[in-house]
Amino acid sequence: MPALQAKTQGARIIPGLHGLRICFFVSDVYYFKERKKPTLVMFLAAFTSRSPREVSPDATLLSRLLQKDVSAFEQLYDRHSRLVYGLVLRILQHASTSEEVVQDVFLQLWRNAAQYDESRGPFVPWLCTMARNRALDHLRLKSERQRRREDLPEELPSIAVAPEYEKALDDQRRAERVRALVAALNPQQKRAIELAYFEGLSHSEIAATLKEPLGTVKSWIRNGLLRLKEGLQATT
Amino acid sequence: MNNCDQFRELLEAYALGALDPEERAALEAHLATGCHDCARSVEEARWLVCQLAYTAPEATPSDMLKGRLMQTVRAEAQSHAEAKPQALPAKRYVPVWMWGLAAAMIVFMIVVTRNVRHLQDETREAEHLNAELMEGNHKLEKELAETKREAMIMMDPKSVKIMMPANGKQGAQLEAKWNAQLGVLVMGDKIPMPAPHHVLQLWLIPKDPKAKPMPSMMTWPDADGKFILLVSNPPDSMGNTKALAITEEPEGGSPGPTTTPIYVGGVS
Ligand SMILES: [Zn+2]
Repeated sequence: MPALQAKTQGARIIPGLHGLRICFFVSDVYYFKERKKPTLVMFLAAFTSRSPREVSPDATLLSRLLQKDVSAFEQLYDRHSRLVYGLVLRILQHASTSEEVVQDVFLQLWRNAAQYDESRGPFVPWLCTMARNRALDHLRLKSERQRRREDLPEELPSIAVAPEYEKALDDQRRAERVRALVAALNPQQKRAIELAYFEGLSHSEIAATLKEPLGTVKSWIRNGLLRLKEGLQATT
Repeated sequence: MNNCDQFRELLEAYALGALDPEERAALEAHLATGCHDCARSVEEARWLVCQLAYTAPEATPSDMLKGRLMQTVRAEAQSHAEAKPQALPAKRYVPVWMWGLAAAMIVFMIVVTRNVRHLQDETREAEHLNAELMEGNHKLEKELAETKREAMIMMDPKSVKIMMPANGKQGAQLEAKWNAQLGVLVMGDKIPMPAPHHVLQLWLIPKDPKAKPMPSMMTWPDADGKFILLVSNPPDSMGNTKALAITEEPEGGSPGPTTTPIYVGGVS
């Protein structure tokens, strides 16, 4: 129930009352006070929802970030900096530039925590998308000296719907599953997807790099991603 | 009209950012027509692509990075706290009136559970309403951003003006302004409405005589014949483009022009 999730995230959580519907109610009151949306129907939504998902640690930390809570920021950094730095380093292959990018990403999170809300999709993919976009921008800037993208207002990533099977695994186990599934792809599919994801290359650039026909590259990428999707779906 | 099938196989590559400009423009034009199915599939594909982050080996950044970050963050938190008037008393974690309200709601809930089925219907309606509201909000924000960009293209002296006279029809003519940073804006007055279930689609005609016209955005003139089309990310650069053309195409647009252009303007 994403609508409900979005509301809880902006609200305070009462310790000891996790899981109780009353908690959702209280958060709703806060929500309506702040956002002035139609109310009664929303209460009903809160009360009749069958199994509200547990508020994730990230959601709690993010709501504290809105109050400029330094320790919440530190915990978010400790939880995710290895993943984000690993991703950026894989793209840029250069430690100090990568650290700059990671610094930018986390500072933006700190300064504009309000920009993230759960209607933009789950937090970790959102953070990774932001980091990847920044890193690829650096890569392009370096290789082409093309500043065009910088002049444009930065677009925040949006992954408004996570598929149903997202809930089947927690982050840790999903990470393991993704690694195993990608490692099991046929090497050409894997290589093509990596060139697109980590180097930001397009179909035709990949075809030129690998010296393979365009149509072949397209189907490697699509079939590889579909196989990954099937593998994640199969875990439900 | 449903031409989603031709776009299905582009969605994953689009989410990955791997589409070449021509295909990307065609898909974006389709998404701009408001196709919910494709939009949803794109978002799910984005989520899938995000999972690829896990395949990068995790790495620990230096302690110096964390040190720098925490220093900045602490300083900003402090100035944030100082900026707030001290007079405000510390807020109670949950105000008393809320507990009162909560208690009232428990009573309400007991009454209400007898009628759960009815409530669930209302819930569904409520979610629907909420989704609509959110969507409306989003649309407004987008429109505002577009209007701003349109104004900037109009005013920017670097925008290049391209006249697009009508082929045959008298009077009506479109005028385009192309700004390398901001995009292409096509405008006109008293533009005749296309046939029912048809749209006016913009094409970029490449200089390369062997290259095919690149599909771009599409729209209709409004009831007064006013026509405004904004392309924030043209599929190609001005330098590679010989002319801009507008044709009438079936709703949803076409990957290649199917009719003779109505308006054409050479890019100098
Ligand atoms: Zn569609």
